[in-house]
Amino acid sequence: MACIERASPALKQILLKFYSVEKPMEIDHHLYEFGSVQYHIQSQASNPLVAYLSISTPSLCHGVLQNELSSYTIETVKRLCPEIVEIVEPAREGYQLTLRLNLNQIPRGKDYVKVIRDISTVQSVILSSQLKEILWNVKSNVTMQGMYKPIKLVYHAREPFFIIIEPQRIIAVFPIRFKEKSELIIATTFFQELMDVGSSDKWAKAPSCNWSAIPPPELRGETLEDLSTNGGFVTFDISSRHIEGKRLDKTVWNLLNFNAYVRYHVKSTKGYIQRRMRKRLENLVQVLHHTNSEANEQTKQHQAAGYRHAKKQLRSSKYNIMKQRWGNFGRKIKTHFRLRIHGFGRFRQRWLRFPKFSSKGYAKLE
Amino acid sequence: MSSNTLRLYLTCIRNTLEAAMCLQNFPCQEVERHNKPEVELKTSPELLLNPVLICRNEAEKCLIETSINSLRISLKVRQTDELENILTKKFLRFLSMRAEAFQVLRRKPVQGYDISFLITNYHCEQMQKQKLIDFIVQFMEDIDKEISELKMSVNTRGRLVATEFLKQFI
Repeated sequence: MACIERASPALKQILLKFYSVEKPMEIDHHLYEFGSVQYHIQSQASNPLVAYLSISTPSLCHGVLQNELSSYTIETVKRLCPEIVEIVEPAREGYQLTLRLNLNQIPRGKDYVKVIRDISTVQSVILSSQLKEILWNVKSNVTMQGMYKPIKLVYHAREPFFIIIEPQRIIAVFPIRFKEKSELIIATTFFQELMDVGSSDKWAKAPSCNWSAIPPPELRGETLEDLSTNGGFVTFDISSRHIEGKRLDKTVWNLLNFNAYVRYHVKSTKGYIQRRMRKRLENLVQVLHHTNSEANEQTKQHQAAGYRHAKKQLRSSKYNIMKQRWGNFGRKIKTHFRLRIHGFGRFRQRWLRFPKFSSKGYAKLE
Repeated sequence: MSSNTLRLYLTCIRNTLEAAMCLQNFPCQEVERHNKPEVELKTSPELLLNPVLICRNEAEKCLIETSINSLRISLKVRQTDELENILTKKFLRFLSMRAEAFQVLRRKPVQGYDISFLITNYHCEQMQKQKLIDFIVQFMEDIDKEISELKMSVNTRGRLVATEFLKQFI
């Protein structure tokens, strides 16, 4: 299984941390990537300038390639960073390749990040060189009906793909499988766009791409398990110009990465849909809350208007106005006449009081 | 043409809602001191009005069920292809799961429909009737718009990603 980035993120992080540490430390890390790729990084505190990196990766094609790494692959790995990387023979038990990393040779300054990133690409280098070897050296057998036998490449247990090497061209067929229906539909939309874009004149130099729900005729004779998919088959028609010179490396990496690329697109599209839905939900809720708040405001306004109206009615009542005036007058009298006159209180109550005109009222008899 | 039919469809729904949304408080006849939406219970036929079904086409319709104290609006949204189908399902499920934010949204749609609203007399008292109708109509417009925009965005993203992928071969 390839990662969109060539360097293994976990391996890169460990190596960077180990290299940046000031105090010598002992490390012994076991890493697993994509379920089948295994790394072992070891360094002793007594010799902190040397680290051993062992890697075990399943062979890309069991029938065609041997389990041990070929001399071409080993040479490619050696070329990664020739001054820093040395291949240890034999490799540690359980691993296909062991590298001795001379950390004291890593240049100081900003370049060390680039060097460590290059070292971390070891697994992708192995995979790419294996595929290059297949494309260069393997000659497909012609079957009975004049068809070329497909080569099954398993770089991930659940995502094999097929390569058919014909004299003039190479056909890469990717069976597509997804667990969720939504993912499948997003991927299908992408394949349709890929076909549309690929068929336009602008992209005539790119390999032609085709997507079909049924297996292409080149896969005739393969096992039912390999041919049963829910997302159909994507076929790339690679001509000789795509595997010439520097383009070979790009083509190989694109083929190895295709499945990861599609999955990454599906995942990010799902995230995008989720973000948009969240935003729209906020807008819709705002509309409803706006409705609610407007309704509340109007209710308040109605209540306030009603209160003012009642107040007006109260104010307009002649009885109350006169009562208020008499009250003021009474208070004035009370404040002006500070001398206590015997019987004046009773006089005030009797004669200076505003009379009540209520039907229920009564005059106290004295 | 399409926008014209949509406008007619939405106007028809608006008019029907205006006629149907005359709800009043009505205690439950079955359980004492309970007040339940009669449109959901359907225990007393005398409290229910005839349901109204408004169809724009076979794939797009709106069912308005009315009772004395509650109103149920169920919508079926257009899904012309598989992408629209999953986008609609995803979006409406997303909204239904957050039904508490809308107050009037039903958690589970009525069978045969994509999304349902339940409006009671209390909602009409809290919110203005006209504004509530505006919200329902705007909701329908927004759903249509959002699904079309999402579909377009997914296709555009796919095209861009496809272009970037093919660019690497050249």
